[in-house]
Amino acid sequence: MTAAEQVIAAPAGPLLSHRTIVLLGRCAFALLILAGWQWGADSFGSVFFAPPLAVLQRLWEITASGEVFFDIWATLYVSAIGFVIAVVFGLLMPFVLRMSPRLTEAVQPYIFWSQGIPKYALAPWLILWFGIGDVPKIVIVVTQTFYVIFYNVFAGIRAVDQRLVSTARVMGASENVIAKEVIWKSLQPFFYAGMKIAAPHAVGATIVGEFLVSTQGVGHYIEHARELSDTVGVFAGIVVATVLVLAINMIVERAERFSLRWRPVAKDMMTN
Amino acid sequence: MKRYRVLIDRILVCVALLALWQVASWVLGTYWVSTPWATISRFFISLWNGELIRHAGYTVEEAALGGVIGAVPAIILPFALRRFPTIVQILDPFMIGGYGLPKLALAPLFILWFGIGIESKIAVVVSIVFFIEYYATLSGVRALDARLVQMAQLCGANERQVARHVVWPCAVPNIFAGLRISLPIAIAVAVVTELISSNRGLGYLVQMGAMNFDITEVFAAILGATILVLAVGYAVDGTESILLRWRPSSDPLQQATSTT
Amino acid sequence: MSTSPLLEVRNLAKRFASRQGREPAPWVIRDLSFSVRDGEFLTIIGPSGSGKSTLLNMIAQIDTASGGEILFGGDTIIVSDPKSLKPGLDRRIGYVTQDDNLLPWRTTLDNVLFPLEVQNRLDDKSRAHAETLIKAVGLSGYEKYYPHELSGGMRKRTSLIRTLVYDPPVILMDEPFAAVDAQTRVQLQEDLLRLWEMGRKTIIFVTHDIAEAVALGDRTLVLTKQPTRIRSEHLIPFKRPRNVKDIFGLEGFAQVYETIRAEIQ
Repeated sequence: MTAAEQVIAAPAGPLLSHRTIVLLGRCAFALLILAGWQWGADSFGSVFFAPPLAVLQRLWEITASGEVFFDIWATLYVSAIGFVIAVVFGLLMPFVLRMSPRLTEAVQPYIFWSQGIPKYALAPWLILWFGIGDVPKIVIVVTQTFYVIFYNVFAGIRAVDQRLVSTARVMGASENVIAKEVIWKSLQPFFYAGMKIAAPHAVGATIVGEFLVSTQGVGHYIEHARELSDTVGVFAGIVVATVLVLAINMIVERAERFSLRWRPVAKDMMTN
Repeated sequence: MKRYRVLIDRILVCVALLALWQVASWVLGTYWVSTPWATISRFFISLWNGELIRHAGYTVEEAALGGVIGAVPAIILPFALRRFPTIVQILDPFMIGGYGLPKLALAPLFILWFGIGIESKIAVVVSIVFFIEYYATLSGVRALDARLVQMAQLCGANERQVARHVVWPCAVPNIFAGLRISLPIAIAVAVVTELISSNRGLGYLVQMGAMNFDITEVFAAILGATILVLAVGYAVDGTESILLRWRPSSDPLQQATSTT
Repeated sequence: MSTSPLLEVRNLAKRFASRQGREPAPWVIRDLSFSVRDGEFLTIIGPSGSGKSTLLNMIAQIDTASGGEILFGGDTIIVSDPKSLKPGLDRRIGYVTQDDNLLPWRTTLDNVLFPLEVQNRLDDKSRAHAETLIKAVGLSGYEKYYPHELSGGMRKRTSLIRTLVYDPPVILMDEPFAAVDAQTRVQLQEDLLRLWEMGRKTIIFVTHDIAEAVALGDRTLVLTKQPTRIRSEHLIPFKRPRNVKDIFGLEGFAQVYETIRAEIQ
């Protein structure tokens, strides 16, 4: 090991294997957090820090009563619709723009600037229009999630090897076929990458949207609890939200691995 | 010549969008959709009489304080832990969890703790900026070229000098990349938290406008917030291009024609 | 010039750490011995894979050895414990690496001044010395340029004078001109010799190019393949100052060149 490498990374001790140390360290840190939580509850009182046990109890209650599933379903329902609409638009628009580079250049700054609009700020206005219901939430989720998909697909189309497109054209393929075979195939990694980010993002956006458009869902549960100063409820709701987002993350990861098992060639075909 | 054509195209698009907006306002009624003219004039009136500036100031204050409090530890931590990769590994799952969790979802908790004043907004901004900046800085520190460190050592540099002259400048581009993302988000997040519960700021103006059925106020406030978000982004870009002049341009034509 | 060697390498050996459970790694360097006198320009020819860089790394104290010793001015400096490595041996050994390793965020002038800054020796006199060196290699006018704006040859020159600026008694050079085109290389070789004449430092210059080794050095060592040892030693009979451009026409050059080339076959 050279002197420079030493500056970069010091080796682990000889007593315990590196992996064990890391594992122990993580457990210790997790315990530290829990201890801090408990200490917070003791020092600041239950108005600010719900005691861990009380939170667990509440989680048990809302699970047993089924209330939590009702809220989770409401949240997922809105996220899913918003996600699908965002994917449709996010997928179509780049293809439409691709047909006219001139249009793309003309429109580009407006797409960029529109991203600066704080989308949640549209909520009060949407509520005036549509009342407190699912529509304002869906609109917000769509506007939040759209950009992720759009930019990923856009980049993917840009990254298409122009030689493959020319070759296909020379062989007499129609634009439709080109779009389907060449572009779509090479676009897939970008598209899936975008979806992977967008899915949990959509769920998160729904939850925040529910803070503003409070009818049902996990976000509504949290915000409602806050308005009642029900600290235990707030904590419990946040735990549910966290688990939900992590679960979506995991599902998306599995889905990606599954679909890639079917078509491992898709990526390799483009490295010619 | 092409540049002018693009410019004219964009102006045409702008006109088309404004026309669309105006038509929507006619069709749906100004009760639901304020006209472009009304929005822009309200915007400037608000700006002139100071109201918009005052509330925008609150929002900026929240974002700025939160940005600093969040970014500074996030930048320091990877440097401090450079010699302790084990600790970085131990923290990794927690950092990833913190990064993946939508921090905005914690807004009610922060409002519960800190009230509807400025502190809760700062807390939300800190929680978001911290994780973004931590990973940006970490990637910058990790991207360190060992050969440059070696060169500095051969010249006689000690630990501190290596950190100052080699590690830090190497990480700065990544730190800026993080700021480019996190600072505009800081503004947006401050606005959102104000929407949930506040008595000041641009988000408050939006809520007030909606409560009074004053759609023009709502649009003007949203316009103000949008301009702020974009302005912060451009400011970071500008600062970056001044400080990072040493970076090779990504334009291949410019690279090819550099001095031989 | 004193007669006792400034730098002495005795039975140097190096092999890299093997992975757990595997057989020990093969020796890269084994039983390598040579010495260098003060003020000598020594060139070392080695085919690829002969561990040339490893040898220099060990002399420069940035890598450990598995056996043997290195003496500098009579003191043993070789180290087998990574923690007690002293890169550059407190600035007594300079090292011009194959990659120019310029700091991309510093201008040409700032890159050259870097060692002086780090050693707290930055004053008017040393600054003037830096500017002299910049002029000597033809980089006047490029002081404010950033590395990405310079050509490969210019970056090499900057890297070279960066090491020269703080006057280390011994300078190691690892195929510094390998990555530039033939014409630039000849120019750089001439620049190097001219600069060397000004100070007559001790130089150990490693290359795979026989002509380069013969044109530049007072003496040339030829390395074997792994496990690397010294195969042979050749005194270069040509007088200084040398004209690198016309070296191929120099009387006796072809013989020396052929002798060495036949050895390496």
